Amino acid sequence: MQQVYSIPKSIKQNSTFTFCPGCDHGLAIKLVAQVIDELELKENTIAVASSGCSVLLYDFLDVDCIESPHGRACAVATGIKRAHKAQGYNKFVFTYQGDGDFASIGLAESLHSALRGENITAICINNTNYGMTGGQLGPTTAMGQITTTSQSGRNKEYHGFPIKTAEHIALCEGTSFSARVALYDIKNIINAKKQIKKAFEYQKKGLGFSFVEILSTCPTNWKLTPQDSHKKIENELIKVYPLGIFKDIEND
Amino acid sequence: MSHIKIDGNKCKSCYLCMDVCPKKLIKKSEKIGKTGNCIVEFDDKNQECIGCAQCALVCPDMAIVEVYR
Ligand SMILES: Cc1ncc(C[n+]2csc(CCOP(=O)(O)OP(=O)(O)O)c2C)c(N)n1
Ligand code: SF4
Ligand code: SF4
Repeated sequence: MQQVYSIPKSIKQNSTFTFCPGCDHGLAIKLVAQVIDELELKENTIAVASSGCSVLLYDFLDVDCIESPHGRACAVATGIKRAHKAQGYNKFVFTYQGDGDFASIGLAESLHSALRGENITAICINNTNYGMTGGQLGPTTAMGQITTTSQSGRNKEYHGFPIKTAEHIALCEGTSFSARVALYDIKNIINAKKQIKKAFEYQKKGLGFSFVEILSTCPTNWKLTPQDSHKKIENELIKVYPLGIFKDIEND
Repeated sequence: MSHIKIDGNKCKSCYLCMDVCPKKLIKKSEKIGKTGNCIVEFDDKNQECIGCAQCALVCPDMAIVEVYR
């Protein structure tokens, strides 16, 4: 008999996630930690946390972390990557951001990092609302979706349309990889890890900006159980946000 | 004998692991956890666990800490 599963080495021992019960943030961070372990990146990584529930990352991940102002994670990561490079160090730098952070307040920083082809990786948790601040409408809130600031549902006259982040990032010439994944069942969780790994490997190879959007749950603000939240993704949200790889310069 | 180890201090009673266990070996226990709900326990009297680790993979709180096959 052998041990086939253990807590990733890149997770601080004895740490307990402080996310709400059933929140996909925990699962996403676990997958990131597994990939860091598999690629042996722990000692060379600098993670850039952002504002939102995603900021809690540095409480759990046992790598060097820095917190950036709301939305500016890709700009901070750019500085870290370039400053180290100028000194002869090739650090592995990635951001972990919410959808509000990446695609609303930080859209300029995010998109321009992709356009410049910064050799960094961004992981964006798309839970279709501003989780930490209480579930307000975000740039990714689906049409008709009820949030605390769209009480009768998102509508095009008042709120306009949601952003398809992974598709937009794929259009940038500096992007090496852009994919959208989900975590609602085992098959998708395994695929999500595979795409995160690919995005990290592309940075290691120096191919440019790599991006993974993770379609995630926010059971607390959606006011659903973790199970029903996953069903919402499977039955409703993947129609709005199709899963797949939108750019892959090694295979396109 | 395949088995798993659950850390009750980390379990937040989301019950996602109960749904994925192909043998339905994870059940609600009598113990109340930090969220005020019953935490889960591994109940494998007939040694049915196949050590697939799907429960550990889905647990968002890393409360399933070890799997042996
Ligand atoms: C400059 C600035 N404006 C507003 C806030 C308040 N704020 C904190 S978190 C957050 C929303 C984060 O939402 P998202 O990026 O979707 O992440 P989630 O919490 O859903 O993971 C906001 C608006 C802030 N911290 N800084
Ligand atoms: S508020 Fe939403 S995103 Fe934040 S920890 Fe809770 S469930 Fe997760
Ligand atoms: S998935 Fe994890 S946190 Fe949720 S009930 Fe199972 S052991 Fe507890």
